[in-house]
Amino acid sequence: MEEDGPNFRKELVNKLLFLHFKDDRCKVSADALQLMVEMLKIFVREAAARAIRQAQAEDQDKVDIEQFEKVLPQLLLDF
Amino acid sequence: MELGQREEEEEEEDQRQLTLIQNLKATVHYTVGSMCQEAADAKGVRFTKPAIAAISEVTFRQCEHFAKDLEMFARHAKRSTINMEDVKLLARRSSSLLNYITEKSEEISRINQEQKDKKKKKTEGGNKKSSKQAVTEMDIDD
Repeated sequence: MEEDGPNFRKELVNKLLFLHFKDDRCKVSADALQLMVEMLKIFVREAAARAIRQAQAEDQDKVDIEQFEKVLPQLLLDF
Repeated sequence: MELGQREEEEEEEDQRQLTLIQNLKATVHYTVGSMCQEAADAKGVRFTKPAIAAISEVTFRQCEHFAKDLEMFARHAKRSTINMEDVKLLARRSSSLLNYITEKSEEISRINQEQKDKKKKKTEGGNKKSSKQAVTEMDIDD
């Protein structure tokens, strides 16, 4: 299951989720947590890939906040 | 007197919460930074620092939506534990994302099942495998 490249750690994802739960009794099963790690990885990779594509479409070799702003609305609609 | 003390305690609690949030944000920022770096290296471009900061801020806020949705989904199913079905429901907006998450969930449950089987073999020796259980669990996905 361990993959190449950087990824979120399970402990981090767990803490991030628990930070926003309203009910303290709410728990996350281990496999669901693993799937959430995957979900967040896809979110960040998709954000990066779309911003890079936007920069390349504008013929730039650096990806700035401006390019990310342009792809942000659709990104948020997809997740 | 007592009221003042309580206020002080609340302030301390708020402060603790704030440091926790800052720590989490820093960790998210680090992870997002290295993931963006990897993607940029592959494409021969580079991310500016504000761009990475923006992506990690968005990621952090997206987590809030994820957490609240998951909690609601579990409560709707009258559960207090979030399971993989809830996460699948989270990926409903994009069909390719849903496909990917479904595939991953099958992979995860298969690996977990294999590990369970291994443990069983170790503890019980030559018992028969119970691989049929995994199949019944996944029937809902189609």
